[in-house]
Amino acid sequence: MTTPTAPPGTVAAAVAPRLAAIALGAACVAWTASSLPHGGWSRFALTVSIIAVTAGALRLAVADLPQPENDYFQPAPIRAWLGFLAFLRALPWEEIALVALLWLEVLHPARPGHTAALGAGLTAYLLAVHIAESGASGGLLLRRQAKVLTAGACLLALGAGFATLPAIGGGGAALLRVLAAAAVVAAAVLVFPA
Amino acid sequence: MPTGIPNGSRLPAAPTASPAQGPDAGTGQAVGPVVVESTRSESEVRWRPSRHAIRLLTLAAAGLLLATATRRPELVGLAAPALLLLGAGRSARPERIGVRTGLTATRLYEDELAAVDVTVEDDQDDVRWVLRPGRGIEPSSATAVGSQTARFMFIVPRWGRRKVGSVDLVLHDRWRLAEGRLSFTLPSVDCYPRPAIQRTQVVLSRLPNRLGEHPARMAGEGTEFTGVRDYVPGDRQRAINWPATTRRGRLQVNTFAAERSQDVVLVVDATSDVGEPGSSALDLGLRGAAGAARAYLDARDRVGVITYQWGGATWLAPSLGRRQVYKIIDTMLSADAAWARGAMFSRLPRAALPPGALVVAFSPLLDQRFVEALRDMRERGFSLIVVDVLNAEPPKKFSFAGKSARRIWQMEQHSIRFSLRELGVPVVHWDGVAPLDLPLAPYTRRPLVVRR
Repeated sequence: MTTPTAPPGTVAAAVAPRLAAIALGAACVAWTASSLPHGGWSRFALTVSIIAVTAGALRLAVADLPQPENDYFQPAPIRAWLGFLAFLRALPWEEIALVALLWLEVLHPARPGHTAALGAGLTAYLLAVHIAESGASGGLLLRRQAKVLTAGACLLALGAGFATLPAIGGGGAALLRVLAAAAVVAAAVLVFPA
Repeated sequence: MPTGIPNGSRLPAAPTASPAQGPDAGTGQAVGPVVVESTRSESEVRWRPSRHAIRLLTLAAAGLLLATATRRPELVGLAAPALLLLGAGRSARPERIGVRTGLTATRLYEDELAAVDVTVEDDQDDVRWVLRPGRGIEPSSATAVGSQTARFMFIVPRWGRRKVGSVDLVLHDRWRLAEGRLSFTLPSVDCYPRPAIQRTQVVLSRLPNRLGEHPARMAGEGTEFTGVRDYVPGDRQRAINWPATTRRGRLQVNTFAAERSQDVVLVVDATSDVGEPGSSALDLGLRGAAGAARAYLDARDRVGVITYQWGGATWLAPSLGRRQVYKIIDTMLSADAAWARGAMFSRLPRAALPPGALVVAFSPLLDQRFVEALRDMRERGFSLIVVDVLNAEPPKKFSFAGKSARRIWQMEQHSIRFSLRELGVPVVHWDGVAPLDLPLAPYTRRPLVVRR
């Protein structure tokens, strides 16, 4: 009896984005966890981010396993496994990980270059997750979005640059810096062709 | 060969539809069957943000919110790529989309491979098809589910009218930021019972005076040699048997048997359906009747059918031709679930049971009224053969009452069959696996003597 096997290229195309997503998620966690400050629930945020990234990775790993419509007649271990699969698929792990990582980053003292690198990592993480779960061709998708991603990287650097400018005049000027950066981003979004 | 159809007994095209199978039907290759029935429908697409878009939105919103709260502009920069991706991915999306569906067969046999082709009239978006099979449909394989035209192969394991199910179409825009979904229902298919294999026929000893293919006992213009007699003026010269003439010293001619056809009425007992689904008594009865109908129609006999069921009896008068197979199977499949007093065959019109017809009954012999109806038919002078399709027994119980009940049931079944044999009605058991020729062999080797 022969079992159908996928061609090697297909397997690699399916596994590579998943591995990339897992690696990028782990890298983002490690990046924000460096010199972890005390207080502000930093350990809790770190734990949540680790759990969320791990669960997201597991969800991607078992994405191809089918979920039967009716598990009433299944034995208890299989029902428990199916319940675990349903739990993995129910929660938005990537969104939870994003919020936890940003929270963790905010707990640090201002470090613009570090934050910009985290932004690039998080964007790459989201793209890798998307490619892994949709099965879309990574090369094609990235080629289509190359200009936008380049512009995004420029804005990321611009935001970091804004942060390095010395604030004159206290809190109001700091808010103005934020608004200026937001205005630049908004202008870029509006000007960029759809 | 289509799976499930006996070798050498492939049915012709269905009477109302175009050819049900293409040249490669049932080969298991995705390129085989040809679409015979195609419909186009236009549906509204429900668009919503994809999970990717929601994640980007989360990153952008969290970045902007934290930037404002903490007054750190680098967090605005962190949100910028996500915002740019969301902004650049906006595009016009179609509100309605046309979808074309085509079935390779609207009528098929059990376990025969069929396919449904689906085509979306949209070349802008990425497409993903998902088949949700209906009850009694087993999906086999799918090809090109990520392109504009996809094909889903399926089989129907058990006879009946089956809904193929529905197909979900998921559309993604170029950047996969929006996801459009629409679902549409596929048409139904009629699944015919897989005909049993039967190559021989039971032939009556007394045949009606109608031209056919069965050699009769009387002399005629057939092809089967019956003997030699003296030449009389008017005999055909080509009928002279020269070796016999030489031996006897006077002209001898060959004589041949006349060839006649017969009326065959198939009776299917649909009152009780016991056994495992797929090999139940009714399954076997329908498959046996379908196989018998093909065998007798191939021999140019006139074949009719009577379906005996709770709601009464439905019948089809004997007739000739290949289309009669489909008419017979359609009649058998139109089972009425409503309860009513059982019909008596004596009430059926003469056309349903022509005098002198051979009656082949497929029954588990569990309904006493059906057994009485068989006796009634025998007393009216019909030549009967009963094919026993009972394939199940009561479960074994270890209690005395259970054993006794089982024993009584078996004795009752034996007595029913014995009483029928005593009336001159042969009862043969068919397991549904072997060809029907095997149990019928004692009656197909020589003509069945008609006893009135």
